[in-house]
Amino acid sequence: MSTTPRTAEDMTTESTTKSTTPETRKPPTAPVFAVEGLWKVFGPKADRIPADPELTALAPAELRTRTGCTAAVRDVSFDVRKGEVFVVMGLSGSGKSTLVRCLTRLIEPTAGTIAIDGEDVRAMDKTRLRELRRHRAAMVFQHFGLLPHRTVLDNVAYGLEIQRVGKAERRERAAKVVAKVGLEGMEHRRPGQLSGGQRQRVGLARALAVDPEVLLFDEPFSALDPLIRRDMQEEVVRLHREEGRTMVFITHDLSEALKLGDRIALMRDGAVVQLGTPEEIVGSPADDYVREFVRDVPREQVLTVRTAMRAASADETGNGPALAPDATVSEAIEAVARSGAPARVMEGGRCLGVVDHERLLGVVAGTEQRKEVA
Amino acid sequence: MATVTASAPQATLPGFLKRPVVRKLVLLALVAAILVPLANARWASGTWPDALTVDVSGPLTDTSTWIIDNRDSHPLFLYFFGHISNAVVLCVRAVYLVLLAAGWAGVTAAASLIAWRVAGRRLAAGTAAAFLACGFLGMWIPTMQTLALMVVAVLASVVVGVLLGLAAGLSDRMDRILRPVLDTMQVLPAFAYLLPVVLVFGIGVPAAVLATVVYAAPPMARLTALGLRGADKEVLEAVESLGTTARQRLLTARIPLARRELLLGLNQTIMMALSMAVIASVIGAGGLGDRVYQALATVDVGAALAAGIPIVLLAVVLDRVTGAAGERLGEEPRPNGRARWLYALIATVAIAVAARLAGRLDWPDAWTLNIAEPVNRAVDWMTNHLYSGVPVVGGTADWAGHFTTWVLDPVRDGLQWLPWWSVLLIVATLAWLIGTWRTALTAVLAMAAIGVLGVWNPSLDTLSQVLAAVAVTLVLGFAIGIAAARSDRVERLLRPVLDVFQTMPQFVYLIPVVALFGVGRAPAVAAAVVYALPAVVRITTQGLRQVDPAALESARSLGATPAQQLRQVQLPLARPALLLAVNQGVVLVLAVVIIGGLVGGGALGYDVVFGLAQGDLATGLVAGAAIVCLGLMLDRVTQPTERRAKKGA
Ligand SMILES: Nc1ncnc2c1ncn2[C@@H]1O[C@H](COP(=O)(O)OP(=O)(O)O)[C@@H](O)[C@H]1O
Ligand SMILES: [Mg+2]
Repeated sequence: MSTTPRTAEDMTTESTTKSTTPETRKPPTAPVFAVEGLWKVFGPKADRIPADPELTALAPAELRTRTGCTAAVRDVSFDVRKGEVFVVMGLSGSGKSTLVRCLTRLIEPTAGTIAIDGEDVRAMDKTRLRELRRHRAAMVFQHFGLLPHRTVLDNVAYGLEIQRVGKAERRERAAKVVAKVGLEGMEHRRPGQLSGGQRQRVGLARALAVDPEVLLFDEPFSALDPLIRRDMQEEVVRLHREEGRTMVFITHDLSEALKLGDRIALMRDGAVVQLGTPEEIVGSPADDYVREFVRDVPREQVLTVRTAMRAASADETGNGPALAPDATVSEAIEAVARSGAPARVMEGGRCLGVVDHERLLGVVAGTEQRKEVA
Repeated sequence: MATVTASAPQATLPGFLKRPVVRKLVLLALVAAILVPLANARWASGTWPDALTVDVSGPLTDTSTWIIDNRDSHPLFLYFFGHISNAVVLCVRAVYLVLLAAGWAGVTAAASLIAWRVAGRRLAAGTAAAFLACGFLGMWIPTMQTLALMVVAVLASVVVGVLLGLAAGLSDRMDRILRPVLDTMQVLPAFAYLLPVVLVFGIGVPAAVLATVVYAAPPMARLTALGLRGADKEVLEAVESLGTTARQRLLTARIPLARRELLLGLNQTIMMALSMAVIASVIGAGGLGDRVYQALATVDVGAALAAGIPIVLLAVVLDRVTGAAGERLGEEPRPNGRARWLYALIATVAIAVAARLAGRLDWPDAWTLNIAEPVNRAVDWMTNHLYSGVPVVGGTADWAGHFTTWVLDPVRDGLQWLPWWSVLLIVATLAWLIGTWRTALTAVLAMAAIGVLGVWNPSLDTLSQVLAAVAVTLVLGFAIGIAAARSDRVERLLRPVLDVFQTMPQFVYLIPVVALFGVGRAPAVAAAVVYALPAVVRITTQGLRQVDPAALESARSLGATPAQQLRQVQLPLARPALLLAVNQGVVLVLAVVIIGGLVGGGALGYDVVFGLAQGDLATGLVAGAAIVCLGLMLDRVTQPTERRAKKGA
């Protein structure tokens, strides 16, 4: 979303509906998910590990040899805000799947708190938890998890069937969702007769059919070919734009994370090493690990002029091309190259600063000084 | 002989295993060096020492007498076994009456219409032909008796099997308890199940049905558990993530996901039930098996064949139809499937009613074909011309005689001559080299139990027949298997033959061997070889064909000759499959060698038959227990480590 080109003109209307800029990011409502100090340890007598400071200090390999346990999620805290796409990214084995399954207790957490709309998930009894899974959070899986003996329509309607919705109604609702994900005409096929991309559309439709508050994706597109993957990513972008549904999106693919994420949590060995907007992750990596991770990212496509600009001198505020603060550096390069003069960063008719050749080259080369303006 | 068959797998051990092998051998030698002189000093004798046997026949006779005396009075029988027995009789009777009421036309129509719905037109035609053939052979009534018993036994087996399978599939604890029991039951010969049920229920239909259920339920249970456990984890997770209850999960996901295994289980259960329903003729099952049994008792090959052919037809039809149902699973469901079932039902009823109105319920006598006489004439001719004195090749009876005097007798005498402790030592060594110390311990204990029961000599007699049959089976099986693996043509030719042979119940193999070789131990061995051969050939072929093509290709690119490829790449890589073939061969051979007691095989099988026929249940039960021990021992001795390890995981 952050790469969608924006100009000063549509900025004024959009900034009221979208809240991606740091200033307007203050959550208007309680977070959808609030996770605090979450641990998941696999292995014998897992309970003792989060409580023992000596054990928690150990490196993963050492912990395993000492206790036979794997800490898949280590002391993770974050909020998922209403309407945002929250991406969890990390290499394989970093604990992403475990983390997202803990949110609806498909995997029982070892320690910490999880709240959905302020309600404690870990305190829920079986019935309440089922309600949560039926109506509030639905998940899309890497290998689709479709029932091979059911048709596409019945797979999509499955969540409604579980909720004991009548046959006619659930088929009707399912048919609508099938159309929404672009599978019209395939209602009566079996999953075995579909391509990978089509199967994942069924998986997506099944999750959408129950009209959940949050969609959870666990590497939904990793098993797909690159071209299909791009189609599916665009599908998710479109859905999010149309419905504004909150999404938690797991991926190991950095470009996918940057493309989809409003905010990204980067995980390593079960812990979150950095949490921030794509721009923050790319622009100011928290440590060497993250820096190494984002090294090959085309920075000019992620960083915005808000980060790249410097204070304007008096004569600069009056002329030069105008840009919105969250226009990307590559857009600014185009504007500057065309006009030959520094571009102004304008917000609400006010000039925040300017970007010139030097600044923009600094971003591309990765040598620019970070501005203290947060 | 023992060392010849057993050292084959040992010799194929790859080099890196050499060292643990040496360690095991040294350890065993040490243990033997301490124990053997002690044992030899105290109980020096060739056969199992009397001092170490426990006479169980007294208590067993008492028990059996007590049961017979109390069968009509004791509450346990009145209120439990009595009810079971009555219910079984009632059910079988009811099904039988329904089959008779439907008449031959109705039954044939129903069977072929069911086959049409689940398996398509060709099999429907085959089914109709098979049922009509049963009628032509004059076997309509016995066929219906067997079918009635089968229907009840299969339904009960499926219920029991599915329940056990659900328990083992859903609970890890039940799985740990049930799995070894089911695994062991799978390797025991059918005969071992007969006596315990006879002890409780007496000879008759209830005993036959229950023995069949005990024999046929394990595959259903195993495959149900396997299907439930093998379900795609992510599908189950997805289903759970939608907020299903445990029950919804079971009914809408776990069971449907396991339907391939469930159908395979049904297929295996039906085949095993047929096999046992036929064998159970010796405990009063009646029907086709009884006809074969009576005919074999008087060496009336013609009559045996007339009853044997319907058994084979029934087996082939049941196997193909249930198998086809499994294969059709993946296909698109036909439109208006329900309506077609309805047409089938209406057609069946119409035909049955029409036959009834026409007064044609019973198979018309005029339509039967008496094959017994011509067959017997042919057998007589064979007896006169082929049994002996054929120039150059000798006769079949001569072969059987030579096989007995030159192979079976020396092996039996050799085994019985060996000091008892050395037999135990050989068993321990083989089992440990191929498997683990656990399998070795089970094998030794099982063998020792045979001695303790006081049936050491007859058991070694049976063992000698098994070893001879296994040796022949493996030589032929590996040779044919290698040929089939190397040539597609050979495999294509073999496949239908193997298919038919693998579906035939054990019992019918006795008919042709009696015709060819008369009665005795050699025919029993021959039947065992013929019965075990298809499985060994099939496993060998599959094992060799599944060898990693990349490994073969690299060998070929290095210029290896076909013989080198086979010896250096295919055989070593197919070692697990070959060991499995040995294991299967041993288990299958034992089953038929035991049944060979019916055609003069003697030894343990004869003891069981004798016990049943004379009402001397003690002798029969001891023999039955020895069969169980022998089966356990042979399975464990040939059980490769890999199989154990996989099961543990
Ligand atoms: N059921 C389990 N038992 C033991 N260890 C597990 C289990 N599930 C995951 N793990 C371990 O937890 C770590 C995180 O796994 P996972 O969450 O699947 O990572 P990711 O999804 O990021 O690839 C891995 O080291 C994995 O081996
Ligand atoms: Mg994962």
